[in-house]
Amino acid sequence: MDIIIAILVTGLTNGALYALATLGLSLVWGSMGMLNMAHGSMLALGGYMVFTMAVGVGLPVWTGFVAAAAAGAIFGGLLYFGVVRPLLKSGGPGFETSVMIATVGISIALENALLLSFGGQPLSQPFAVAGSVNLGAGVMPWLNVTIVVVAVLVMGAMGFLISKTKMGRAIRATAQNRDAALLMGVPVEWTYLQVLGLAGALAGICGVLLSAVTQLSPTLGADPMLKAFIMCVVAGLGNLPGAVISAFGLALIEAAVQFGLGARWGFPVLLMLVIAILIWRPNGLFGRAQIRRM
Amino acid sequence: MAENNTPALSIEGLSAGYDGPDVLHGVTLAVPKGQIVTVVGPNGHGKSTLLRTISGLTRRREGRILAEGREIHKLKPYQVAAAGIAHVPQGDLLFPEMTVYENLLMGAYTTSDHDQIAERLAFVYRLLPRLEERHAQVTSSLSGGERRMVGIGRGLMAGGDVMLIDEPSLGLAPLVIEQIYEVIAALRAEGRTILLVEENPARVAHLSDVMHLLDDGRVVWSGAPEALLDRDELLSTYLGG
Repeated sequence: MDIIIAILVTGLTNGALYALATLGLSLVWGSMGMLNMAHGSMLALGGYMVFTMAVGVGLPVWTGFVAAAAAGAIFGGLLYFGVVRPLLKSGGPGFETSVMIATVGISIALENALLLSFGGQPLSQPFAVAGSVNLGAGVMPWLNVTIVVVAVLVMGAMGFLISKTKMGRAIRATAQNRDAALLMGVPVEWTYLQVLGLAGALAGICGVLLSAVTQLSPTLGADPMLKAFIMCVVAGLGNLPGAVISAFGLALIEAAVQFGLGARWGFPVLLMLVIAILIWRPNGLFGRAQIRRM
Repeated sequence: MAENNTPALSIEGLSAGYDGPDVLHGVTLAVPKGQIVTVVGPNGHGKSTLLRTISGLTRRREGRILAEGREIHKLKPYQVAAAGIAHVPQGDLLFPEMTVYENLLMGAYTTSDHDQIAERLAFVYRLLPRLEERHAQVTSSLSGGERRMVGIGRGLMAGGDVMLIDEPSLGLAPLVIEQIYEVIAALRAEGRTILLVEENPARVAHLSDVMHLLDDGRVVWSGAPEALLDRDELLSTYLGG
Protein backbone atom coordinates (compact mmCIF):
# COMPACT_ATOMS: atom_id res chain seq x y z
CA MET A 1 0.00 0.00 0.00
CA ASP A 2 2.75 2.43 0.97
CA ILE A 3 4.51 1.72 -2.32
CA ILE A 4 1.38 2.66 -4.23
CA ILE A 5 1.22 5.97 -2.42
CA ALA A 6 4.91 6.55 -3.11
CA ILE A 7 4.35 5.80 -6.80
CA LEU A 8 1.37 8.13 -6.92
CA VAL A 9 3.18 10.97 -5.16
CA THR A 10 6.27 10.69 -7.35
CA GLY A 11 4.31 9.99 -10.51
CA LEU A 12 1.87 12.87 -10.08
CA THR A 13 4.58 15.35 -9.07
CA ASN A 14 6.80 14.42 -12.00
CA GLY A 15 3.76 14.26 -14.23
CA ALA A 16 2.83 17.83 -13.33
CA LEU A 17 6.38 19.03 -13.98
CA TYR A 18 6.71 17.11 -17.24
CA ALA A 19 3.27 18.32 -18.32
CA LEU A 20 4.26 21.96 -17.80
CA ALA A 21 7.52 21.45 -19.66
CA THR A 22 5.77 19.53 -22.42
CA LEU A 23 3.06 22.13 -22.81
CA GLY A 24 5.58 24.88 -23.59
CA LEU A 25 7.45 22.70 -26.04
CA SER A 26 4.28 21.48 -27.74
CA LEU A 27 2.74 24.95 -27.99
CA VAL A 28 5.77 26.26 -29.87
CA TRP A 29 6.00 23.22 -32.11
CA GLY A 30 2.29 23.16 -32.87
CA SER A 31 2.00 26.79 -33.82
CA MET A 32 5.22 27.39 -35.67
CA GLY A 33 6.87 24.06 -36.47
CA MET A 34 9.76 25.00 -34.23
CA LEU A 35 11.46 22.53 -31.92
CA ASN A 36 12.83 24.79 -29.22
CA MET A 37 15.99 23.07 -28.01
CA ALA A 38 16.58 25.94 -25.57
CA HIS A 39 13.42 25.08 -23.62
CA GLY A 40 15.44 23.10 -21.04
CA SER A 41 17.82 25.93 -20.27
CA MET A 42 14.84 28.28 -20.01
CA LEU A 43 13.63 26.03 -17.17
CA ALA A 44 16.99 26.58 -15.46
CA LEU A 45 16.65 30.33 -16.03
CA GLY A 46 13.34 30.25 -14.14
CA GLY A 47 14.89 28.34 -11.25
CA TYR A 48 17.72 30.84 -10.92
CA MET A 49 15.33 33.78 -11.06
CA VAL A 50 13.56 32.73 -7.88
CA PHE A 51 16.96 32.28 -6.24
CA THR A 52 18.02 35.75 -7.36
CA MET A 53 14.83 37.41 -6.11
CA ALA A 54 14.61 35.64 -2.76
CA VAL A 55 18.26 35.10 -1.80
CA GLY A 56 20.00 37.75 -3.88
CA VAL A 57 17.57 40.66 -3.55
CA GLY A 58 15.77 39.46 -0.43
CA LEU A 59 12.19 39.80 -1.68
CA PRO A 60 9.41 37.34 -0.79
CA VAL A 61 9.53 34.03 -2.60
CA TRP A 62 6.31 34.62 -4.57
CA THR A 63 8.00 37.51 -6.39
CA GLY A 64 10.37 34.86 -7.66
CA PHE A 65 7.50 33.15 -9.50
CA VAL A 66 6.58 36.43 -11.17
CA ALA A 67 10.21 37.14 -12.00
CA ALA A 68 10.71 33.62 -13.36
CA ALA A 69 7.64 33.87 -15.60
CA ALA A 70 8.70 37.34 -16.75
CA ALA A 71 12.29 36.30 -17.40
CA GLY A 72 11.07 33.29 -19.38
CA ALA A 73 8.69 35.44 -21.41
CA ILE A 74 11.38 38.03 -22.11
CA PHE A 75 13.82 35.32 -23.10
CA GLY A 76 11.15 33.88 -25.40
CA GLY A 77 10.77 37.34 -26.94
CA LEU A 78 14.52 37.66 -27.42
CA LEU A 79 14.52 34.23 -29.04
CA TYR A 80 11.89 35.51 -31.47
CA PHE A 81 13.72 38.69 -32.43
CA GLY A 82 17.21 37.22 -32.33
CA VAL A 83 16.68 33.83 -33.94
CA VAL A 84 13.21 33.01 -35.21
CA ARG A 85 12.43 36.22 -37.08
CA PRO A 86 15.72 36.39 -38.99
CA LEU A 87 15.44 32.70 -39.89
CA LEU A 88 11.85 33.13 -41.10
CA LYS A 89 12.83 36.25 -43.07
CA SER A 90 15.64 34.42 -44.82
CA GLY A 91 12.89 32.07 -46.00
CA GLY A 92 13.30 28.68 -47.53
CA PRO A 93 12.00 25.30 -46.46
CA GLY A 94 14.85 24.71 -44.00
CA PHE A 95 13.35 26.66 -41.09
CA GLU A 96 12.57 23.62 -38.97
CA THR A 97 16.13 22.34 -39.15
CA SER A 98 17.92 25.64 -38.86
CA VAL A 99 15.87 26.82 -35.90
CA MET A 100 16.58 23.54 -34.10
CA ILE A 101 20.32 23.95 -34.59
CA ALA A 102 20.20 27.63 -33.65
CA THR A 103 18.34 26.94 -30.41
CA VAL A 104 20.85 24.23 -29.46
CA GLY A 105 23.43 27.01 -29.64
CA ILE A 106 21.26 29.38 -27.63
CA SER A 107 20.78 26.67 -25.04
CA ILE A 108 24.53 26.15 -24.63
CA ALA A 109 25.06 29.91 -24.35
CA LEU A 110 22.31 30.33 -21.72
CA GLU A 111 23.57 27.41 -19.63
CA ASN A 112 27.08 28.84 -19.65
CA ALA A 113 25.81 32.30 -18.81
CA LEU A 114 24.10 30.79 -15.76
CA LEU A 115 27.30 28.89 -14.93
CA LEU A 116 29.33 32.09 -15.08
CA SER A 117 26.82 34.07 -13.02
CA PHE A 118 26.00 31.56 -10.31
CA GLY A 119 28.89 29.08 -10.37
CA GLY A 120 28.80 25.35 -10.89
CA GLN A 121 27.94 24.39 -7.32
CA PRO A 122 24.38 23.12 -7.03
CA LEU A 123 22.37 25.64 -5.01
CA SER A 124 19.34 24.98 -2.98
CA GLN A 125 16.36 26.93 -4.06
CA PRO A 126 14.46 29.09 -1.56
CA PHE A 127 10.97 28.02 -2.61
CA ALA A 128 9.91 25.29 -0.21
CA VAL A 129 6.79 24.09 1.54
CA ALA A 130 7.33 22.27 4.81
CA GLY A 131 5.42 19.37 6.29
CA SER A 132 3.42 16.52 4.83
CA VAL A 133 0.06 14.87 5.00
CA ASN A 134 -0.20 11.46 6.57
CA LEU A 135 -2.12 9.09 4.35
CA GLY A 136 -2.08 6.12 6.68
CA ALA A 137 0.27 3.87 4.78
CA GLY A 138 2.45 6.67 3.43
CA VAL A 139 3.12 10.38 3.48
CA MET A 140 2.59 13.04 0.89
CA PRO A 141 4.76 16.15 1.33
CA TRP A 142 2.93 19.47 1.05
CA LEU A 143 5.61 20.60 -1.41
CA ASN A 144 4.47 17.93 -3.87
CA VAL A 145 0.85 18.89 -3.37
CA THR A 146 1.76 22.53 -4.00
CA ILE A 147 3.66 21.64 -7.17
CA VAL A 148 0.74 19.66 -8.56
CA VAL A 149 -1.77 22.36 -7.65
CA VAL A 150 0.30 25.22 -9.10
CA ALA A 151 1.01 23.23 -12.27
CA VAL A 152 -2.66 22.34 -12.72
CA LEU A 153 -3.71 25.96 -12.15
CA VAL A 154 -1.17 27.23 -14.67
CA MET A 155 -2.25 24.62 -17.21
CA GLY A 156 -5.89 25.49 -16.59
CA ALA A 157 -5.19 29.16 -17.21
CA MET A 158 -3.29 28.23 -20.34
CA GLY A 159 -6.12 26.00 -21.52
CA PHE A 160 -8.60 28.83 -21.02
CA LEU A 161 -6.36 31.28 -22.86
CA ILE A 162 -5.90 28.97 -25.84
CA SER A 163 -9.47 27.71 -26.16
CA LYS A 164 -11.62 30.66 -25.11
CA THR A 165 -9.92 33.95 -25.90
CA LYS A 166 -9.42 35.84 -29.12
CA MET A 167 -5.65 35.62 -28.67
CA GLY A 168 -5.90 31.85 -28.24
CA ARG A 169 -8.09 31.55 -31.32
CA ALA A 170 -5.53 33.49 -33.32
CA ILE A 171 -2.77 31.18 -32.06
CA ARG A 172 -4.76 28.08 -33.02
CA ALA A 173 -5.74 29.58 -36.35
CA THR A 174 -2.11 30.35 -37.16
CA ALA A 175 -1.17 26.80 -36.22
CA GLN A 176 -3.88 25.26 -38.37
CA ASN A 177 -3.51 27.40 -41.45
CA ARG A 178 -1.03 30.22 -41.56
CA ASP A 179 -2.12 31.70 -44.91
CA ALA A 180 -5.77 31.66 -43.88
CA ALA A 181 -4.90 33.35 -40.57
CA LEU A 182 -3.12 36.10 -42.52
CA LEU A 183 -6.17 36.53 -44.77
CA MET A 184 -8.35 36.94 -41.67
CA GLY A 185 -6.14 39.81 -40.55
CA VAL A 186 -4.06 37.98 -37.94
CA PRO A 187 -0.60 39.54 -37.67
CA VAL A 188 1.09 36.16 -37.69
CA GLU A 189 4.51 37.45 -36.62
CA TRP A 190 2.96 39.00 -33.52
CA THR A 191 1.28 35.65 -32.82
CA TYR A 192 4.65 33.90 -32.99
CA LEU A 193 6.05 36.40 -30.52
CA GLN A 194 3.11 35.78 -28.17
CA VAL A 195 3.58 32.02 -28.43
CA LEU A 196 7.28 32.21 -27.59
CA GLY A 197 6.54 34.59 -24.74
CA LEU A 198 3.86 32.28 -23.31
CA ALA A 199 6.05 29.20 -23.68
CA GLY A 200 8.88 31.10 -21.99
CA ALA A 201 6.65 32.07 -19.06
CA LEU A 202 5.55 28.43 -18.73
CA ALA A 203 9.19 27.34 -18.76
CA GLY A 204 10.04 29.89 -16.07
CA ILE A 205 7.30 28.72 -13.71
CA CYS A 206 8.08 25.09 -14.42
CA GLY A 207 11.74 25.78 -13.61
CA VAL A 208 10.83 27.16 -10.17
CA LEU A 209 8.72 24.12 -9.31
CA LEU A 210 11.30 21.74 -10.73
CA SER A 211 14.21 23.19 -8.82
CA ALA A 212 12.20 22.88 -5.60
CA VAL A 213 12.37 19.09 -5.86
CA THR A 214 15.87 18.91 -7.32
CA GLN A 215 18.63 21.47 -6.98
CA LEU A 216 19.62 24.53 -8.91
CA SER A 217 22.20 23.83 -11.55
CA PRO A 218 22.60 25.25 -15.06
CA THR A 219 21.71 21.90 -16.60
CA LEU A 220 18.68 21.21 -14.41
CA GLY A 221 16.36 21.46 -17.40
CA ALA A 222 18.16 18.88 -19.54
CA ASP A 223 16.46 15.79 -18.16
CA PRO A 224 12.88 17.21 -18.05
CA MET A 225 13.42 18.65 -21.55
CA LEU A 226 14.35 15.21 -22.85
CA LYS A 227 11.33 13.63 -21.16
CA ALA A 228 9.09 16.46 -22.34
CA PHE A 229 10.24 15.88 -25.90
CA ILE A 230 9.47 12.18 -25.57
CA MET A 231 6.01 13.03 -24.24
CA CYS A 232 5.38 15.46 -27.07
CA VAL A 233 6.24 12.72 -29.54
CA VAL A 234 4.06 10.17 -27.76
CA ALA A 235 1.13 12.57 -27.70
CA GLY A 236 1.60 13.63 -31.32
CA LEU A 237 3.62 16.82 -31.74
CA GLY A 238 1.56 19.95 -31.22
CA ASN A 239 -1.40 18.34 -29.48
CA LEU A 240 -1.74 20.20 -26.16
CA PRO A 241 -4.32 18.13 -24.22
CA GLY A 242 -2.62 14.99 -25.49
CA ALA A 243 0.72 16.28 -24.23
CA VAL A 244 -0.65 16.79 -20.72
CA ILE A 245 -2.28 13.34 -20.64
CA SER A 246 0.88 11.67 -21.94
CA ALA A 247 3.01 13.52 -19.40
CA PHE A 248 0.98 12.29 -16.43
CA GLY A 249 0.61 8.78 -17.87
CA LEU A 250 4.28 8.29 -18.64
CA ALA A 251 5.39 9.84 -15.35
CA LEU A 252 3.20 7.38 -13.42
CA ILE A 253 4.57 4.47 -15.44
CA GLU A 254 8.12 5.69 -14.92
CA ALA A 255 7.53 5.99 -11.15
CA ALA A 256 5.97 2.53 -10.99
CA VAL A 257 8.94 1.01 -12.83
CA GLN A 258 11.42 2.86 -10.64
CA PHE A 259 9.79 1.64 -7.45
CA GLY A 260 9.09 -1.85 -8.76
CA LEU A 261 12.26 -2.70 -10.68
CA GLY A 262 14.74 -0.11 -9.44
CA ALA A 263 15.47 3.49 -10.34
CA ARG A 264 17.85 2.69 -13.19
CA TRP A 265 15.10 0.92 -15.14
CA GLY A 266 12.79 3.93 -15.27
CA PHE A 267 14.20 5.65 -18.33
CA PRO A 268 14.96 2.55 -20.45
CA VAL A 269 11.44 1.23 -19.91
CA LEU A 270 10.05 4.66 -20.81
CA LEU A 271 12.04 4.67 -24.06
CA MET A 272 10.98 1.12 -24.97
CA LEU A 273 7.41 2.06 -24.32
CA VAL A 274 7.73 5.09 -26.59
CA ILE A 275 9.24 2.97 -29.37
CA ALA A 276 6.36 0.49 -29.02
CA ILE A 277 3.79 3.30 -29.12
CA LEU A 278 5.36 4.82 -32.20
CA ILE A 279 5.39 1.46 -34.00
CA TRP A 280 1.71 1.07 -33.11
CA ARG A 281 0.76 4.68 -33.86
CA PRO A 282 3.48 6.47 -35.87
CA ASN A 283 1.86 9.88 -35.40
CA GLY A 284 1.57 9.55 -31.66
CA LEU A 285 -1.38 8.61 -29.49
CA PHE A 286 -3.37 11.74 -30.27
CA GLY A 287 -1.56 12.83 -33.44
CA ARG A 288 -2.96 13.51 -36.85
CA ALA A 289 -1.61 11.92 -39.98
CA GLN A 290 -0.08 15.18 -41.04
CA ILE A 291 1.31 18.07 -39.09
CA ARG A 292 0.95 21.40 -40.78
CA ARG A 293 4.18 23.18 -41.28
CA MET A 294 5.38 26.65 -41.94
CA MET B 1 -12.47 62.20 -59.88
CA ALA B 2 -15.57 62.51 -57.78
CA GLU B 3 -15.59 60.52 -54.54
CA ASN B 4 -18.57 58.45 -55.65
CA ASN B 5 -16.90 57.20 -58.79
CA THR B 6 -13.84 55.88 -57.04
CA PRO B 7 -13.92 52.12 -57.53
CA ALA B 8 -13.96 49.98 -54.41
CA LEU B 9 -10.92 48.22 -55.78
CA SER B 10 -8.74 49.05 -58.73
CA ILE B 11 -5.74 47.30 -60.15
CA GLU B 12 -3.37 49.10 -62.46
CA GLY B 13 -0.69 47.41 -64.55
CA LEU B 14 -0.18 44.64 -62.04
CA SER B 15 2.63 42.16 -62.60
CA ALA B 16 3.34 39.46 -60.08
CA GLY B 17 4.78 35.99 -59.74
CA TYR B 18 6.35 33.40 -57.53
CA ASP B 19 10.02 32.42 -57.69
CA GLY B 20 10.15 32.08 -61.48
CA PRO B 21 8.96 34.39 -64.25
CA ASP B 22 5.91 36.63 -63.89
CA VAL B 23 2.51 34.97 -63.79
CA LEU B 24 0.55 38.20 -64.20
CA HIS B 25 1.53 40.68 -66.88
CA GLY B 26 0.22 44.22 -66.51
CA VAL B 27 -3.30 43.37 -65.38
CA THR B 28 -5.62 46.35 -65.14
CA LEU B 29 -9.20 46.21 -63.92
CA ALA B 30 -11.57 47.98 -61.60
CA VAL B 31 -14.30 46.76 -59.26
CA PRO B 32 -16.98 49.47 -58.88
CA LYS B 33 -18.99 49.59 -55.68
CA GLY B 34 -21.97 47.27 -55.53
CA GLN B 35 -20.96 45.28 -58.59
CA ILE B 36 -19.79 41.76 -59.23
CA VAL B 37 -16.75 41.74 -61.44
CA THR B 38 -15.68 38.34 -62.66
CA VAL B 39 -12.34 37.14 -63.95
CA VAL B 40 -12.61 33.99 -66.03
CA GLY B 41 -9.98 31.91 -67.72
CA PRO B 42 -8.59 28.40 -67.80
CA ASN B 43 -6.68 26.91 -64.88
CA GLY B 44 -3.13 28.02 -64.47
CA HIS B 45 -3.58 31.39 -66.17
CA GLY B 46 -3.13 33.52 -63.07
CA LYS B 47 -6.62 33.96 -61.64
CA SER B 48 -5.74 32.83 -58.13
CA THR B 49 -2.42 34.63 -58.31
CA LEU B 50 -4.32 37.83 -59.01
CA LEU B 51 -6.39 37.46 -55.83
CA ARG B 52 -3.37 36.35 -53.78
CA THR B 53 -1.44 39.37 -54.97
CA ILE B 54 -4.26 41.72 -54.00
CA SER B 55 -4.20 40.17 -50.53
CA GLY B 56 -0.43 40.46 -50.31
CA LEU B 57 0.25 36.73 -50.14
CA THR B 58 2.04 36.71 -53.47
CA ARG B 59 4.65 39.33 -54.21
CA ARG B 60 3.76 42.16 -56.54
CA ARG B 61 6.50 43.06 -59.00
CA GLU B 62 4.97 46.09 -60.67
CA GLY B 63 1.77 48.09 -60.75
CA ARG B 64 -0.61 49.48 -58.17
CA ILE B 65 -3.56 48.16 -56.16
CA LEU B 66 -5.98 50.69 -54.70
CA ALA B 67 -8.88 50.24 -52.31
CA GLU B 68 -11.21 53.24 -52.41
CA GLY B 69 -8.39 55.14 -54.05
CA ARG B 70 -5.90 54.28 -51.30
CA GLU B 71 -2.76 52.33 -52.18
CA ILE B 72 -2.75 48.93 -50.50
CA HIS B 73 -0.10 47.09 -52.48
CA LYS B 74 2.63 47.78 -49.94
CA LEU B 75 0.62 46.45 -47.02
CA LYS B 76 1.17 43.12 -45.35
CA PRO B 77 -1.57 40.49 -45.77
CA TYR B 78 -3.10 41.13 -42.35
CA GLN B 79 -3.16 44.88 -43.06
CA VAL B 80 -4.92 44.29 -46.38
CA ALA B 81 -7.57 42.32 -44.49
CA ALA B 82 -7.90 45.14 -41.99
CA ALA B 83 -8.28 47.58 -44.90
CA GLY B 84 -11.55 45.87 -45.81
CA ILE B 85 -10.53 43.27 -48.39
CA ALA B 86 -12.05 39.90 -47.43
CA HIS B 87 -10.53 36.98 -49.31
CA VAL B 88 -12.38 33.67 -49.63
CA PRO B 89 -9.49 31.53 -50.84
CA GLN B 90 -9.51 28.64 -53.25
CA GLY B 91 -9.99 25.28 -51.55
CA ASP B 92 -11.47 27.01 -48.50
CA LEU B 93 -8.34 27.10 -46.28
CA LEU B 94 -10.52 26.69 -43.22
CA PHE B 95 -9.18 26.12 -39.74
CA PRO B 96 -9.86 22.37 -39.76
CA GLU B 97 -9.84 21.69 -36.03
CA MET B 98 -12.03 24.63 -35.11
CA THR B 99 -15.78 24.57 -35.03
CA VAL B 100 -17.92 26.32 -37.62
CA TYR B 101 -18.63 29.05 -35.07
CA GLU B 102 -14.95 29.58 -34.28
CA ASN B 103 -14.11 29.73 -37.99
CA LEU B 104 -16.76 32.40 -38.45
CA LEU B 105 -15.40 34.35 -35.48
CA MET B 106 -11.95 34.24 -37.03
CA GLY B 107 -13.46 35.95 -40.06
CA ALA B 108 -14.31 38.90 -37.82
CA TYR B 109 -10.83 38.98 -36.30
CA THR B 110 -10.21 42.61 -37.20
CA THR B 111 -13.42 43.72 -35.49
CA SER B 112 -13.70 44.06 -31.74
CA ASP B 113 -17.22 45.52 -31.62
CA HIS B 114 -19.36 42.70 -30.20
CA ASP B 115 -22.64 44.10 -31.52
CA GLN B 116 -21.23 44.29 -35.02
CA ILE B 117 -19.96 40.73 -34.80
CA ALA B 118 -23.36 39.50 -33.56
CA GLU B 119 -25.09 41.37 -36.38
CA ARG B 120 -22.84 39.83 -39.03
CA LEU B 121 -23.23 36.39 -37.50
CA ALA B 122 -27.02 36.75 -37.66
CA PHE B 123 -26.73 37.75 -41.33
CA VAL B 124 -24.49 34.78 -42.14
CA TYR B 125 -26.84 32.36 -40.36
CA ARG B 126 -29.81 33.84 -42.22
CA LEU B 127 -28.07 33.48 -45.56
CA LEU B 128 -26.57 30.07 -44.77
CA PRO B 129 -28.91 28.39 -42.26
CA ARG B 130 -26.93 25.19 -42.56
CA LEU B 131 -24.05 26.82 -40.72
CA GLU B 132 -26.22 27.58 -37.71
CA GLU B 133 -27.29 23.94 -37.54
CA ARG B 134 -23.66 22.89 -37.63
CA HIS B 135 -22.18 25.71 -35.58
CA ALA B 136 -20.60 23.42 -32.98
CA GLN B 137 -19.19 20.94 -35.48
CA VAL B 138 -15.48 20.80 -36.27
CA THR B 139 -15.04 21.90 -39.89
CA SER B 140 -12.87 18.95 -40.91
CA SER B 141 -15.96 16.76 -40.48
CA LEU B 142 -18.15 18.78 -42.89
CA SER B 143 -18.98 17.96 -46.50
CA GLY B 144 -17.27 19.83 -49.32
CA GLY B 145 -20.27 22.07 -49.95
CA GLU B 146 -20.65 22.90 -46.26
CA ARG B 147 -16.97 23.73 -46.01
CA ARG B 148 -17.33 26.10 -48.96
CA MET B 149 -20.24 27.76 -47.17
CA VAL B 150 -18.10 28.20 -44.06
CA GLY B 151 -15.45 29.80 -46.27
CA ILE B 152 -17.98 32.26 -47.71
CA GLY B 153 -19.54 32.87 -44.30
CA ARG B 154 -16.13 33.54 -42.83
CA GLY B 155 -15.46 36.04 -45.60
CA LEU B 156 -18.75 37.78 -44.88
CA MET B 157 -17.91 37.99 -41.17
CA ALA B 158 -15.06 40.32 -42.06
CA GLY B 159 -17.66 42.88 -43.06
CA GLY B 160 -15.19 44.06 -45.69
CA ASP B 161 -15.88 46.56 -48.47
CA VAL B 162 -14.80 44.09 -51.13
CA MET B 163 -14.95 40.32 -51.20
CA LEU B 164 -12.51 38.32 -53.29
CA ILE B 165 -13.98 34.91 -54.00
CA ASP B 166 -11.70 32.35 -55.60
CA GLU B 167 -13.42 29.70 -57.72
CA PRO B 168 -16.23 28.78 -55.33
CA SER B 169 -17.34 25.88 -57.53
CA LEU B 170 -14.01 24.05 -57.42
CA GLY B 171 -14.32 20.35 -56.63
CA LEU B 172 -18.04 20.41 -55.85
CA ALA B 173 -20.86 18.35 -57.31
CA PRO B 174 -23.05 20.21 -59.86
CA LEU B 175 -26.02 20.38 -57.52
CA VAL B 176 -23.89 21.88 -54.74
CA ILE B 177 -22.34 24.34 -57.18
CA GLU B 178 -25.82 25.60 -57.92
CA GLN B 179 -26.46 26.15 -54.21
CA ILE B 180 -23.20 28.05 -53.83
CA TYR B 181 -24.05 30.30 -56.78
CA GLU B 182 -27.49 30.92 -55.32
CA VAL B 183 -25.70 32.29 -52.28
CA ILE B 184 -23.58 34.55 -54.46
CA ALA B 185 -26.71 35.69 -56.32
CA ALA B 186 -28.21 36.59 -52.93
CA LEU B 187 -25.10 38.64 -52.13
CA ARG B 188 -25.45 40.39 -55.48
CA ALA B 189 -29.02 41.26 -54.57
CA GLU B 190 -27.68 42.67 -51.30
CA GLY B 191 -25.50 45.05 -53.28
CA ARG B 192 -22.17 43.58 -52.16
CA THR B 193 -18.99 44.37 -54.03
CA ILE B 194 -17.33 41.19 -55.22
CA LEU B 195 -14.35 40.26 -57.35
CA LEU B 196 -15.11 36.71 -58.40
CA VAL B 197 -12.79 34.25 -60.08
CA GLU B 198 -14.21 31.30 -61.98
CA GLU B 199 -13.04 28.85 -64.59
CA ASN B 200 -16.37 28.32 -66.32
CA PRO B 201 -17.69 31.58 -67.89
CA ALA B 202 -21.19 30.23 -68.55
CA ARG B 203 -21.69 29.60 -64.86
CA VAL B 204 -21.13 33.19 -63.80
CA ALA B 205 -22.28 35.20 -66.80
CA HIS B 206 -25.76 35.81 -65.37
CA LEU B 207 -24.28 37.04 -62.07
CA SER B 208 -21.64 39.39 -63.37
CA ASP B 209 -21.77 43.08 -64.14
CA VAL B 210 -18.44 43.01 -65.94
CA MET B 211 -16.30 40.10 -67.04
CA HIS B 212 -12.60 39.92 -67.78
CA LEU B 213 -10.99 37.10 -69.69
CA LEU B 214 -7.55 36.23 -68.39
CA ASP B 215 -5.24 34.43 -70.80
CA ASP B 216 -1.72 33.57 -69.71
CA GLY B 217 -1.69 36.31 -67.11
CA ARG B 218 -3.05 39.01 -69.43
CA VAL B 219 -6.52 40.46 -69.67
CA VAL B 220 -7.41 39.75 -73.32
CA TRP B 221 -11.02 40.83 -73.26
CA SER B 222 -13.26 42.86 -70.96
CA GLY B 223 -16.89 43.73 -71.23
CA ALA B 224 -20.47 42.83 -70.51
CA PRO B 225 -21.15 39.14 -69.86
CA GLU B 226 -23.66 38.78 -72.71
CA ALA B 227 -20.97 39.81 -75.19
CA LEU B 228 -18.25 37.49 -73.92
CA LEU B 229 -19.94 34.22 -74.76
CA ASP B 230 -19.99 35.11 -78.47
CA ARG B 231 -16.39 36.28 -78.67
CA ASP B 232 -13.70 34.41 -80.56
CA GLU B 233 -11.21 35.22 -77.78
CA LEU B 234 -13.10 32.87 -75.51
CA LEU B 235 -12.54 29.87 -77.73
CA SER B 236 -8.92 30.67 -78.41
CA THR B 237 -8.19 31.19 -74.70
CA TYR B 238 -9.74 27.94 -73.63
CA LEU B 239 -8.81 25.81 -76.64
CA GLY B 240 -5.51 27.46 -77.50
CA GLY B 241 -4.51 28.93 -80.82
